[in-house]
Amino acid sequence: MLPVSATTPESTAPATEDLLVQRLRDRDEGAMTIFYDKYSSALYGVILRIVKKEELAEDVLQEAMVKIWHAFPSYDAGKGRLFTWVMNVCRNLAIDKIRSRQYRVGSRTQPIEESAALRQAAEPTFRPEHIGLQEMTRQLNPEQRQIVDLLYFGGFTQSEVAEELNLPLGTVKTRARAAIKVLSKLIR
Amino acid sequence: MNIQEYIESGILEEYALGVLDDAGRTDVERLAAQHPEIRQELDEIMHGLDAYAQAHAVTPPSGMRERVLTGWQQAIQKQEAPVSPMTVTSAPAAAPAPAASDEAVVRQMPVADTSAAGRTRWLVAASVALLVLSALGNFLLYNRLRETEANLEVAQTEQSRYAATQQATLRESDERARQLSILRDEQFQPVELKGTPKAPDALARVYYNARTKAVYMDVRNLPALPAGKQYQLWALDNGKPVDAGVLAANTTAGDTIQQMKDIASAQAFAVTVEDAGGSPTPTLSTMTVVGNI
Repeated sequence: MLPVSATTPESTAPATEDLLVQRLRDRDEGAMTIFYDKYSSALYGVILRIVKKEELAEDVLQEAMVKIWHAFPSYDAGKGRLFTWVMNVCRNLAIDKIRSRQYRVGSRTQPIEESAALRQAAEPTFRPEHIGLQEMTRQLNPEQRQIVDLLYFGGFTQSEVAEELNLPLGTVKTRARAAIKVLSKLIR
Repeated sequence: MNIQEYIESGILEEYALGVLDDAGRTDVERLAAQHPEIRQELDEIMHGLDAYAQAHAVTPPSGMRERVLTGWQQAIQKQEAPVSPMTVTSAPAAAPAPAASDEAVVRQMPVADTSAAGRTRWLVAASVALLVLSALGNFLLYNRLRETEANLEVAQTEQSRYAATQQATLRESDERARQLSILRDEQFQPVELKGTPKAPDALARVYYNARTKAVYMDVRNLPALPAGKQYQLWALDNGKPVDAGVLAANTTAGDTIQQMKDIASAQAFAVTVEDAGGSPTPTLSTMTVVGNI
């Protein structure tokens, strides 16, 4: 009786992150349904942005969820939010997928503005939550956005970005810092 | 260490983006724990990137939720298959319980599988089970045998009784046929014996064949006899009574006709009541029926 009354409100009402973390720590499989409802659109959006194909994005999300489930004991809430952690798992998995498909060979030299990734961002199927993508794009100048995209969706290190864009590493770091500062201010 | 320099080095961004190796990560985490400014800067970076991710949110296609959750569940069950007999459709509230039962299975399996004692126990258990089954089978078969024997006995009894009845019926049939042939024989002369004043309702008939001397007694109605008494038939030849034999009980009752002693010559017949076994001379006072040829 006790577990039921303790968990039922959570299944219907939006779960708080702490409760979700606790249930995942308890290996509660039902928590994964709540996890999906809470995070799938953000995770799927980022994965889709990286892999660009819907079926592949779905596969990656499922695989990431399996990974998250098994790796969950290693998650430390003290080091960051659950969202940050799971987003990084998804991002890394998606980037691994496209790298293993020789994605970078073809696209690395391709100007990022012309890549499918950016064009897809403007498609009306996108339904941004919290702060809209359009607003974010307006706040970031093109150089900043280019660098953030390469770092976040391309899985590049700052050195790789510098090499890619033929810029001094210091410039890349400054632009990246500035860009991320803008983003963090937007949500404050 | 100059904290501002460290913050501007870009390592916190790399940390948040997840591109640092283990050593680099541990380093950042250690410093973030020591310096609140670094911790705050790091949190801002992570929040900023999270916001950027949120901005790219896409509602997944309908049907994907079911597919992904089912696929996920199958994937984790496949990996946990040796220890987890859990069902796919576990409700959120019911999930913790199967997790506990997983452990129990893990602990039990190796014991049952690896030890020779376990195998022996299995064999003993199997043997006992077979023995019990065999005993049960024997008991059931024995019971059925007894039942069959009892049924056979009943059937045999009935059969012999039926045969006896059949025999009696055949004998009776023969007797009836013989009697019928006597009654139809024109050489037999029927003699009506009528009741005396002592027994007015009494009635009997004698069939007499003068040529073969044969005499048959056919009772229609005679009064019931006292104990120890028997009816006796007499032929009267020129006024002199001649013993023609005693009447059997079934003859007296009228169930059959009875062949009596041969009589050489007679003009009349009479029946008297005598002591059982008959009498050499008739007791005239007890004469029940009489009739002339």
